[in-house]
Amino acid sequence: MKLQVSLITMCLLFISFSYSQNRLPNVALKGLDGKTVNIAQYNNSEKPVILSFWATWCGPCIKELEAINTKYADWQKNYGVELVAVSVDDSKTLSRVRPMIKSKGWQYKILLDTNHELKRILNVANVPYTLILFKGKVMFVHSNYTPGIETKIEEELNKIVNK
Amino acid sequence: MKKILLLSSLFTTSFFYAQVRVGIESNNQYYLDDDKIKIDEVEAENRLRSNTYIKIDYFKDKWQFGTQLESYYPKGIMNFNPELKDVNIGTIYARYNDFDKGINITLGHFYEQFGSGLILRSWEDRALGINNALLGINAKLRLTDNLDLTALAGKQRLGMGFDLSDNYIMGSNFEFNLADVLNFESTELRLGASYVGRLDSERETFYEGVNQLTSAISGRVNFGLGGFNFGAEYIHKQKDIIVENETYQYGVFAPGNAVLVNLGYNQGNLGTSVNLRRMENMSFYSERDLLGNIYNNGVINYVPALTKQYDFSLQNIYVYQAQPHLDFFQAQKAGEIGGQYDIYYDFEEGSTLGGNFGTHVALNGSYWAGLKSTYDYANYQVENEFLGFGKKYYSDIALEIRKRWTDDFQIIAMYMNQYYNAPLLEGKFEDVKADIVSFEGLYNLTEISSLRLELQHMWATADKNNWAAATLEYVPNQKFSFYVSDLYNYGNDYDEDKIHYYNVGGSFSKGATRLSANYGRQRGGMICVGGVCRYVPESAGFSLSLTTNF
Repeated sequence: MKLQVSLITMCLLFISFSYSQNRLPNVALKGLDGKTVNIAQYNNSEKPVILSFWATWCGPCIKELEAINTKYADWQKNYGVELVAVSVDDSKTLSRVRPMIKSKGWQYKILLDTNHELKRILNVANVPYTLILFKGKVMFVHSNYTPGIETKIEEELNKIVNK
Repeated sequence: MKKILLLSSLFTTSFFYAQVRVGIESNNQYYLDDDKIKIDEVEAENRLRSNTYIKIDYFKDKWQFGTQLESYYPKGIMNFNPELKDVNIGTIYARYNDFDKGINITLGHFYEQFGSGLILRSWEDRALGINNALLGINAKLRLTDNLDLTALAGKQRLGMGFDLSDNYIMGSNFEFNLADVLNFESTELRLGASYVGRLDSERETFYEGVNQLTSAISGRVNFGLGGFNFGAEYIHKQKDIIVENETYQYGVFAPGNAVLVNLGYNQGNLGTSVNLRRMENMSFYSERDLLGNIYNNGVINYVPALTKQYDFSLQNIYVYQAQPHLDFFQAQKAGEIGGQYDIYYDFEEGSTLGGNFGTHVALNGSYWAGLKSTYDYANYQVENEFLGFGKKYYSDIALEIRKRWTDDFQIIAMYMNQYYNAPLLEGKFEDVKADIVSFEGLYNLTEISSLRLELQHMWATADKNNWAAATLEYVPNQKFSFYVSDLYNYGNDYDEDKIHYYNVGGSFSKGATRLSANYGRQRGGMICVGGVCRYVPESAGFSLSLTTNF
């Protein structure tokens, strides 16, 4: 019995270490056009995908997305990357998402996680929180904004694409 | 032995395509007394406080199982809901989610939101100690490609995971994508309708005329065409007995309603948005006598203050809170009416005002007032004019400019003007008019290191009067960050209350892990997240937080 329990525990541990953080789960989020997107569809992307959790009220998030924005066109060209900016604004601040991104001319795919379904399932405690995904695997995670992180993200993209 | 091997191999194979996700958050505080700040004697019996959450989710094919363990041991952080105590299960659930077939059924605790949340929202906010998850069943079905149905029933969590409201909550929600049906390519047109009912576990016998079932219905529409978007939502809540000071008011009944309108226009570098809202008697709790409790315990619906959530600390001293309650006898408040607007404009790179890197400008404002009402105390009636503005509660206007000057230097400059009716909103003596200027400069020392300086000043006409504040943050690399800050209430009328709220701290981040430590003084007052506020007492001490996931 003891052996059984320890075996099960081992299996569980093995699983939790080797299979965590991989594929995105099935979570339906709406875009700004009201159309629903299953976040799991990005598992099938052949190109790297940056998933960035942000909010209109989060100063560091805006700095991060601004910093990436200056390089985004190059990144799209060089690495084929798509940035999916998941807004965790709830209905207090949701109406600011559209005017803010439109005025800034951000070309990111915007998804709305209004009641934090995706944020909760991925255990995102605070924003900004940025992941790089490649073929359904999480290659890089960063959990706050520090100036210059865009350089680090580019290094990672470079590694992934030129592997 | 064979059996065991078989079993273990079975487990490994069956787990093979499974996933486990674990999230940990731990917020710890050690309260110290200093020469100016002392905590309450009863509170001081436990100086060490800790709120810890361990969430484990297991995914296998279309199944998902999970739990959140919560620990408030030896005691929860000060002024959290005291029902959050010891170590226990916070939430636990099993879910079947077949995305392709459009079936998503949860048994156990679940979170849900209908429309903007004005009729129903269950959610978690750890910073505020809110977790009003429902324990029961939530079925989300895609009936056709354009029609979604949600049906739920359960009891609301009031303390730890199995400390539940006596009453039942049930609801259903329809979402219909009309644009899809009509084959509109570039037009958005969506409709929604919801029902939420609260069923009392026992019929009220002492107070006459109280229904066992209190119902609310809502309808909404979202429309978007080109740069223009429009949204409207209406909620009606059935007539129900009025509660004041946790007591049913004999013979006083009123219905509730709310109207919410959102408008937006975006073209080129211009983004605009307007929100208008009118509410009367829209407080909705799973138990009537929880109305107005300071922990937001037992709220069924989400009624955020529709004002901008500001970044700078002095801008968050006088924070408006939405006024949904009908207070018949005491404050004579029946709700609120008002709106807010936002204008964003970007001056492009190379233009006169844009300079080399562009200039981002944001202008916003809000105005909120009570309803214009006539109280008839003989018949226990209140009449509210539909578009009448009563006493002013709050207004603000703010202008923000963000600009990068060189590759290495960027600034944020902000001016804000505020009116806060403290007598009506908090029962204080004087209303407050405030002007706040804020400045932030961020200088990149190298590619990955930077220095950030924040300076703020507030001129206020009453309450604690003038404040000044400064923060200096040094980021040596992508892992570490250090800061010192001070908020100084130098304008206080009383010399002994001219206090420095100084803080020093740092953080370490690597991957999904973040560890932060802080020593200093916490200003007392409202801590607000997402338009919902929690009162925190003034305190001093150490705090240590850890968040991670794997």
